[in-house]
Amino acid sequence: MFDILTAILIAGLTTGALYALATVGLSLVWGSMGMLNMAHAAMLTLGGYSAFTLCTVLGLPVIVGFAGAIVIGAVAGGLLYVLIVRNLLKTDKATFEANVMIATVGIGIALENAILLTYGGQPLKQPISATGSFVLGPVSLPFQNMLIVLVVIALMAVIALLLGKTRMGRAIRATAQNREAAQLMGVAVNSVYFQVLVLSGAIAGICGVMVSSMTQLSPPLGNDPMLKAFIMCVVAGLGNLPGAVAAAFGLALLEAFVQYVAGARWGFPTLLFVVIAVLIWRPAGLFGRVQIRRM
Amino acid sequence: MNKTSSSKGMSINARIDLLVSLLLIAAAIALPFMIDSRYVMGQIVLALFYATIASQWNLLFGFAGVFSLAQMAMFAFGGYATAMICFYFGWNVWAALLPGALSAVVFSLIVGLACLRLTGVYVALLTLAIAQTMYLLIVTDTECFTMVGSICRQFTGGAVGFARFGDLGTRALLKGQWLAGNYAIIATLFAVTMLVTYIIVKSPIGLAFRALKDNPGYAVARGVNRFQAQLLVFGISAFFTGLAGGFYAAHFQAIGPGILSMSQLMFIIAITVVGGVGTFWGPLVGTIVLVAADELMREAGEFRTLGLGLIIALSILLMPKGLVGRLGDLLSWLRHRNRAAASAITFQEKPATTGK
Amino acid sequence: MSASAEPPVLSLSNVVSGYKGLQVLKGISFDIAAGDFVTVVGPNGHGKSTLLKTISGLVALTSGAIRINGEPAPAKPHTIAGLGVAHVPQGDMLFPEMSVLENLLMGAYLAPSKAEVERRLDEVYTLLPKLSDRRDQLASSLSGGERRMVGIGRGLMMGGQILLIDEPSLGLAPLIIEQIYGVIAELSRSGRTILLVEENPARVADLADHLHLLDDGVIVWSGPPAELLARDELLATYLGG
Repeated sequence: MFDILTAILIAGLTTGALYALATVGLSLVWGSMGMLNMAHAAMLTLGGYSAFTLCTVLGLPVIVGFAGAIVIGAVAGGLLYVLIVRNLLKTDKATFEANVMIATVGIGIALENAILLTYGGQPLKQPISATGSFVLGPVSLPFQNMLIVLVVIALMAVIALLLGKTRMGRAIRATAQNREAAQLMGVAVNSVYFQVLVLSGAIAGICGVMVSSMTQLSPPLGNDPMLKAFIMCVVAGLGNLPGAVAAAFGLALLEAFVQYVAGARWGFPTLLFVVIAVLIWRPAGLFGRVQIRRM
Repeated sequence: MNKTSSSKGMSINARIDLLVSLLLIAAAIALPFMIDSRYVMGQIVLALFYATIASQWNLLFGFAGVFSLAQMAMFAFGGYATAMICFYFGWNVWAALLPGALSAVVFSLIVGLACLRLTGVYVALLTLAIAQTMYLLIVTDTECFTMVGSICRQFTGGAVGFARFGDLGTRALLKGQWLAGNYAIIATLFAVTMLVTYIIVKSPIGLAFRALKDNPGYAVARGVNRFQAQLLVFGISAFFTGLAGGFYAAHFQAIGPGILSMSQLMFIIAITVVGGVGTFWGPLVGTIVLVAADELMREAGEFRTLGLGLIIALSILLMPKGLVGRLGDLLSWLRHRNRAAASAITFQEKPATTGK
Repeated sequence: MSASAEPPVLSLSNVVSGYKGLQVLKGISFDIAAGDFVTVVGPNGHGKSTLLKTISGLVALTSGAIRINGEPAPAKPHTIAGLGVAHVPQGDMLFPEMSVLENLLMGAYLAPSKAEVERRLDEVYTLLPKLSDRRDQLASSLSGGERRMVGIGRGLMMGGQILLIDEPSLGLAPLIIEQIYGVIAELSRSGRTILLVEENPARVADLADHLHLLDDGVIVWSGPPAELLARDELLATYLGG
């Protein structure tokens, strides 16, 4: 019984950390610019493969692979802004929301396919991973899981500090809360949007490395965490970062529990049914903060 | 859609729509007599399915403003329901089509009740999650439901799906010409779908949606209930999509989870976006262009999906109103130019007459 | 208007602007000299707010020209803010989920140094001591009068010499309005140039040097406030008595 509980707890906390990271990247972009980035999954995958290329193919040290995944994710985010988002922002707000979703759906599928064409479909091993476990009496904690949870906690702290304490973070939050007022204060909102996409791309890069270190590298790698992140976002309310983190851990623990009790295939459907039940019961979302945006 | 059209302009647009429809019907009748290739006919039937699904997605998104990513799920639901009714109860396909479509409607209403109180992106997120769940539940289904001979059959057909549950009866009736018979049936389905879509767009519901899009606050103040109107359109669109799913299963005599894959959904979105979101003829134009492009890209084989993704992104970037929207811009530009030219001529004539 | 060699700090000539399909300002021209207190009055919905938004760049100029300190004004609002034009918008437009202090710091977003931020913060706290007490409270939790003060304080934090203030009395109790105008009078005495929009000319009778009456996108009358208040027919026609 105790073994089972710890197993569920370890699995739930680890996936919760990964979901939290995926959700934060998505939610940050939505909250500050009203953009749902459907290409986020592909950016995750890109991060994972970047680390693979740098470490396994080029034989560079692990830390370079990790940094490379961050940098390439950030560059992908920046390019997404320069090539697509910047041009769509010129249209009015109502059409922007739908158009940017469609455009990023296209970019996402193209990027995923480009990765498939470059690396092939066979699963590859992510070089950035830890083996062994930390044994404490009856409990055995795999180093890999500990590493993921620690990295995610550290990253969350960095993101929280960046948004909460720096001038750049303040400008991002100001733009999210009142775009016109931020402009009046001298904030160039276009460069804020650029920064946000670069930041979320970097987060996606790290997230991709972490996710693939738990499983394996494959072109659809990002889709599963992204789908889960979507669910977390709906529960928490998009743009609500603390809510997203709480929802990520809560739902991941629930998923781990259901997967253990009823089998792996019922994990995600259960999450979905819980979310739909919550929404029918409370359309404003679990945290009672509905963001009315028009289509 | 032309927002500022006067009553006179409306009738011109309606006349254009009527003319286009008549031409298309004539072309559709002539087509089987002109094409010998079985492959081409087969692809045209497939294109008609795409056009039907895309027209219903366009009705949902372009007119009612519901960004649903469960469109292929509705299609699959209708197809699976039809196939399962035939497979498990031994019904004739024609008898199973309507219950199949209606079960898609029930499914859509449940999904709609869950999603449509939310706005924009939340609808997209939830419908995508629902479609993916449906896919995962089908492909991971390994439990034996019945035994067919010595083979284990899953309730949902599992990763294999259903086959040999009956057909549209055209093979028995028309023998070698069965494909032309199926073509006629599917073309009729498409025509009826387009007709009903046209009626909806021009009906008070269609007007209400235009009002919601132009001025949400005003429309709500005038008693337009967005939720109810969207739910209604969701159901209607699911009916025709589900019906098309049933016909699809019957035409191919098979259905599997492959139609729920992301690339199928992408193709439908690409068709609508390239043709023109929110334009009546957009999905048809998009289907013709993309199916033709797809045939050309068959040469490029593995680059097909990459190409499709880029086409979606580029067309939303370069022509947000699609080819039909671009055509509309061109027509109104020509009309303005003609008017300008006409006024320039009368202006030139004046001094000439006074000069006499 | 005083005739000096200095160019006017703000100069509008034949300004036309509006929103998609709706022209609001139909040719506005006036100058404001350094240190002047100019008020635009007029009925609601006739372009007063649009006028300020056009100057600060939130609403794009359709035609005409705006000059700031003699130079043509840039198009983007954030660059105009950089020239020292502080717009205190209608309805405050605070950042609701930031503290009072963070709202004020956002005002000093373009400040050149940390020391300068501190200096401005001291100045604002001296003028509006209540903000100092409330510094850690969320903006969304403040009362209407406190919010208005944060709005003005945030504008001052921008460090500019030109203040555009939009209906500072809107929705406030008479006692609070008096306080707010007391602060504005103080700002005017400190030498700042003020362009203020108000519905009720009586409120600015003692403050404004000059007054423009805006009706349906054009200026229909200009002069000292006392003169307008003496002309009953103007008040009756444009301001409903």
